[in-house]
Amino acid sequence: MKEIGSIRAEEMVLNIGPQHPSTHGVLRLKVKTDGEIVSEVIPIIGYLHRCFEKHAENITYEQVIPFTDRCDYIASMNNNFGFVVAMEELMDIKVPERVEYIRVIMAELNRIASHLLALGVYGLDIGAFTPFLHMFRDRERILDIFELTCGARLLYNYMWVGGVSHDLPRNFETICIDFLDYFEPNIPEFNQLLTTNKIFIERTADVGVMPAEVAISYGVSGPNLRGSGVKWDVRKDEPYSVYDKFDFEIPVGTGDHGTLGDCWDRYWVRMLEMQESCNIIRQALKAIPDNGDVHAMVPKKIRPPKGSIYRRTESPRGDLGYYIISDGSPTPFRLKMRSPALTSLSVLDEISAGWMISDVIAILGSLDIVLGEIDR
Amino acid sequence: MTADQEKFIADVVEKALAGDMDAINSIEDRSVRAKAKASLVKAKRAAKAQQKSDAPAESDSPNQQETAETQSPLSILLNSTYPDEIIEVLDEGKTIQLHPKQWNEIATFLRDHPEALLDQMECLTGVDLGTEDALQVRYNLHSMKHRHKIEIRINTNRDKPEIPSVETIWRMTDWFEREAYDMYGIVFTNHRDLRRLLCPEDWEGWPLRKDYEEPETYHGIMVPKVKEGWE
Amino acid sequence: MTVDYLIDLIPFATDFPGLVFIAVIIACAVPIFMFIAVYALVAIYAELKVSSFMQDKVGPMGQGVGLHAGKWGLLQPVADALKLILKEDIIPSTADRKLFIMAPFIVFIGAFITMAALPFSPTIIVADMNIGIFYILAVSSLGIIGLILAGWSSNNKWSLYGAMRSAAQIVSYEIPAAMSIIGVIMLTSTLSMQGIIEHQSGFVWGILPNWIIFQNPFTFLSFFIFFMSGVAECNRTPFDIPEAESELVAGAFTEYSGMRYAFFFLSEYANMFVVSGVAVTAFLGGWQSPIPGLMDSSGWGLFWFMSKSLFLIFVMMWFRWTWPRLRVDQLMSVCWKGFIPIAFFNIFGIGLWKLIIG
Repeated sequence: MKEIGSIRAEEMVLNIGPQHPSTHGVLRLKVKTDGEIVSEVIPIIGYLHRCFEKHAENITYEQVIPFTDRCDYIASMNNNFGFVVAMEELMDIKVPERVEYIRVIMAELNRIASHLLALGVYGLDIGAFTPFLHMFRDRERILDIFELTCGARLLYNYMWVGGVSHDLPRNFETICIDFLDYFEPNIPEFNQLLTTNKIFIERTADVGVMPAEVAISYGVSGPNLRGSGVKWDVRKDEPYSVYDKFDFEIPVGTGDHGTLGDCWDRYWVRMLEMQESCNIIRQALKAIPDNGDVHAMVPKKIRPPKGSIYRRTESPRGDLGYYIISDGSPTPFRLKMRSPALTSLSVLDEISAGWMISDVIAILGSLDIVLGEIDR
Repeated sequence: MTADQEKFIADVVEKALAGDMDAINSIEDRSVRAKAKASLVKAKRAAKAQQKSDAPAESDSPNQQETAETQSPLSILLNSTYPDEIIEVLDEGKTIQLHPKQWNEIATFLRDHPEALLDQMECLTGVDLGTEDALQVRYNLHSMKHRHKIEIRINTNRDKPEIPSVETIWRMTDWFEREAYDMYGIVFTNHRDLRRLLCPEDWEGWPLRKDYEEPETYHGIMVPKVKEGWE
Repeated sequence: MTVDYLIDLIPFATDFPGLVFIAVIIACAVPIFMFIAVYALVAIYAELKVSSFMQDKVGPMGQGVGLHAGKWGLLQPVADALKLILKEDIIPSTADRKLFIMAPFIVFIGAFITMAALPFSPTIIVADMNIGIFYILAVSSLGIIGLILAGWSSNNKWSLYGAMRSAAQIVSYEIPAAMSIIGVIMLTSTLSMQGIIEHQSGFVWGILPNWIIFQNPFTFLSFFIFFMSGVAECNRTPFDIPEAESELVAGAFTEYSGMRYAFFFLSEYANMFVVSGVAVTAFLGGWQSPIPGLMDSSGWGLFWFMSKSLFLIFVMMWFRWTWPRLRVDQLMSVCWKGFIPIAFFNIFGIGLWKLIIG
């Protein structure tokens, strides 16, 4: 409450309620505003809490994998990948080469699909309806590839401890190369339509600046951290699987339009990452060994030795980590999923103070959260 | 299993241990192949156990300097500055068990000291160790500059669990401590706003504890039971 | 002109002047209302199909009458209209009843009465006043009152936000629109709609039709200023922050349902037509044919007017599906720091041009 002369101005509490058209999931934001200027944003989560961690203590390790799919339902392959990499490090299993390459291809395809969704929905939040549909059209083709391989479009249960569930179909390489040849020329088209559009730049440049120290302190990772100029990617800095065999760049935000670490930079990093993923997939398709049994190293019964491990991998949203404590039995003693979107959401309050309500929507869209992962 | 089969499997496992997986992969009969793989896993585990049982023989020597050398530089640094607070050093200095009392100072030290510079908290996990006196919080820390890691574990008792909060030092722990409070009931003292994160504000009980009993109803809605056991 | 024409037709007009006047007005208003209704159906269908093709979809499609949405989805707007009519009429219990009910009517009236002065052809114009364009500019502001009433009476923070933003936007963008029209009036020396169009007959620069948009570079600029201000007045993208779906659900109209919502919808499309109609009249020659001498008898006038207006409406739809939306403060700064100085500059330029060259 402020007193200006004899007029009182009160802060208004606005509720961007659990159901709202920005399709991030069920998230409630209590926004304290003074007119249009926001002074505080309080996110209230827990609407999608499905007790994943408690549940995991009652089921076997193999049965956990479909549940990890459902946490971040947009990048299920990467969720599986993280769990499986952690388990294999705990149990000291070395998987065949072919499995490693298949996993990388699937993870990168899913990264492209996830970024397409994130960028399309971001355009929708800003008001551009058309790029959303163009990006979804391309995403459909990726989902068709997944359906061809493992039968599922969105939640795959594909990566098992020690292998993958289905081998690649016969004509996979042709189909994949066809898709990449079709998709890569579309990226400049998206840039023309949305990225370099003056109105889009005005809405996103200089808005929601996240300095690098704030980002690291809040534990932000992935494209959000790279948009602030920090060159950190788990695939290069703590490599897992066969990522050290590929030659790819880590795009970092440079403050091209506006300040370093604004919404435009985060958007731009995701755009560039899609291009890099295409490179990785092409290299993987060339280098993949021709034969090998994908079920060779899948253990009959998973009984990891006693111990604990924390291993993180790079999901499209950031550092996805699994802390697994095993007591030698077939069910986990404690399974914690460290979700990158939770840290991204916690930084929302810090970077949106002082902006307007429309900007809060823009900033939230640029952080690319998925409520399934936050609530687990 | 016939003796022939046993010998065949032993041969194939030996070849696989030497690195040649093709021998096992080329077995046509599925059940034989499965048995071969199972023996391979057992053999590998036995080999590892053998290795591990050799290692303690080395570190059993009472030579203090030797054990100090196998520890990581971070744990040596911590040992030299706060020797009283350390309860136990595990896993060659990668994991350190601390007293909760001076956690705040140690945390500031870990974040700001030029040789440590642990500015990124990777993960904060609450654990219920199952025994009478143990709720534990595990902190995984990482340094962006030096690229080294450490894991800190802090125990607290079950009846009145209290740990100093470090949310002003690493801002990420703000929400992660709220989650630990929500799931285990661990009270982080001096936290600016400790309330439940995922469960509703008026939920009763600490869900992730091993002795958690679900309430029968919540505001008149039946609470579903978590499935017990795996079938 | 049509009203006067009809009055002249009736033989015993002088005996019952009041009654005859009212009867004639109703006789002229009903076709306009029918026109708005039919045009709205066509515009809804066009919006669906145009947006679909731009977004690489096909939009509503069907196999035939009664099957799905009719052949090529032609029955879709009919289905929409029926749905809106048949919906339950919900008035929130905490809303201000009288204002809530009054708001859609005021908005619709504001859009409807401006249609009275649009010159569809040399002989079809409901009221050929000699202050035609001034009347349109004045009366089109009536809609804002209805909008504010809608936002306030809904008793909903979001509606209030939307209404306030919308009111600020419409009031601000009236100014560059009016200033662009001033430039036109300076050239034609008349406020009457038919007079402005008649001024634009013949050729200019040799082969171009003598439309005001081609007469000098300042009027060329004025056309774009007027058109963009008109898009802003209709609350269309890129200026559709008052009805931004991802932020404010439906803005000022959140609490409205059924027929009341249909009225807001209808008046938005009517407004679009009025803005296009005025732009066509003032800058693009009205019912004149683009090639003077070809198909320019008075029968063809209706065809040219409608096709030019519908083309401008298509351009408005094109904008909506291509561009993102501006934030409120950016919207305002574009108006006050962008359009208004340019409009001033245009008036100055047109005056100089007419003085020195024309």
